[in-house]
Amino acid sequence: MNDQVIDRPTSLAQRVIDWMDERYELRSLLDAMLHVYVPREAKTFYLGGITLFLFFMQASSGILLTLYYQPTPDTAYNSVLFITSDVSFGWLIRSVHAWGANLMIVACVLHLLRVFFQGAYKRPREITWVLGVFLLFITLGFGFTGYLLPWDQRAFWATTVGTESAGAVPVIGDFLLNFIRGGATVSDVTLTRFFGIHTLVLPVSLAAVLLVHIVLIHQHGLANPKKPAGQVKPDEEPGIPFFPHYILDEAIAWYIVLAVLVILASLFPAGLEAKANPLETPAHIKPEWYFLSLYQFLKLVPRTVGVLTPVAAAPLLILLPFLDRNPEVAPAKRPRMIAAGVLLLLAITILTVWGHFS
Amino acid sequence: MALGLKNVQSKENGNRRSFLKWLLGFGIFSTIASVLIPVIGYLIPPERGSTAGGGRVLVGTTLDIPFGMGKVVQLGNKPVIVINTPQGITAFSAICTHLGCIVDWDAERQLILCPCHDGLFNPQTGAVIAGPPPAPLPPVPVSLEDEEIYLGEA
Repeated sequence: MNDQVIDRPTSLAQRVIDWMDERYELRSLLDAMLHVYVPREAKTFYLGGITLFLFFMQASSGILLTLYYQPTPDTAYNSVLFITSDVSFGWLIRSVHAWGANLMIVACVLHLLRVFFQGAYKRPREITWVLGVFLLFITLGFGFTGYLLPWDQRAFWATTVGTESAGAVPVIGDFLLNFIRGGATVSDVTLTRFFGIHTLVLPVSLAAVLLVHIVLIHQHGLANPKKPAGQVKPDEEPGIPFFPHYILDEAIAWYIVLAVLVILASLFPAGLEAKANPLETPAHIKPEWYFLSLYQFLKLVPRTVGVLTPVAAAPLLILLPFLDRNPEVAPAKRPRMIAAGVLLLLAITILTVWGHFS
Repeated sequence: MALGLKNVQSKENGNRRSFLKWLLGFGIFSTIASVLIPVIGYLIPPERGSTAGGGRVLVGTTLDIPFGMGKVVQLGNKPVIVINTPQGITAFSAICTHLGCIVDWDAERQLILCPCHDGLFNPQTGAVIAGPPPAPLPPVPVSLEDEEIYLGEA
């Protein structure tokens, strides 16, 4: 009778896991990572996970693009053209990368808004918020540096205009402009500089900050949007198991995002304008939609004000959890902060639409 | 009776479980396949034309390659050695059949020489005369019009 138990065949996968577990105690690590609970009230809309998924998509499609892309002014444009029209599925990889960038910024901003309106940035999650805002800035940096790489007219002139605004910063403006462009104008040096930042500096920075961001989320678990952290008793509600319940929902969300990404990339593939010509500015140069509000703002106010306002606003956003000392998380109990958030959102939306149609 | 019912239920559960497992496996497999197919297609480099648009390419004149001389020229992305011999103009692939070095014209010996391992080729036929190359140099169609040397099929 006992023989039966001893001789029960174990699958190969099981034996591999046992082998690893015996040496590295992987099971306890996996248990600690997966077997946590999500508060029943928590509504994340899976936005953080979606942003993470889009980052993976950007990293993998980006690595594929570097296999054919050439970061010099003479060859960049033709290499992008080559990827788009000659390489099998090149148009798809490139369009997924372009659309993924847009969707990642959308997901990132929606994630930030969700955390803001649910008050999930409050004690004890202050640092998680700070790192999250850095992740947003890094993502915007990706958008800005990646935009130049195809080296077409739009890329060249959007970067010229975009970097020009750095020159409006008082005192250090000239130095900053030179530093970003690697010279007085957008040139070959700017291209290699942006390429290096886009493919080395930013990915490494993002991965590092992201790792800490996720570890911190794991340490706290998800916030309860109804009660401040201090009032949630540990054993009050059992919550939903993170694995497999929450993970399964998240996986479904990823599939939907992947489908949206591929559909967008197929129906509206990334185009290419004429090759960059430093001697001819095309009409109506505008930045990508996520910089349109800044662009419109710069048109409305004096240059110095326009540049210094976001510079001053960034620390406010970063330090929000330390400035907003109200412990309440329910929107009804913090009307002023919610009103401020809605107003800012409204202003950014109006400026974006205005910028689009101006 | 009760025991029998229990057996039927557990068998049904087993079927359902294995069906769901199969479905999950199928889902994962098709996801991986649908991602890998475009990625592998992308990784395989597309063909680039070897001659510029096919046809004949002017590579020089008999002034560049006088009698008894040879020269390596570019045909598309392939090197070709063109030789002006007593029997007329000849042209061969300049890639040594041994290990892929580029052969050159040895004016002193009037032979094609590979500098890597001293392979020697006949300038009329491309045949190996001495050294390690295992095969002759493949000929390239060449024609002479007045003083202009053209490579490739007409």
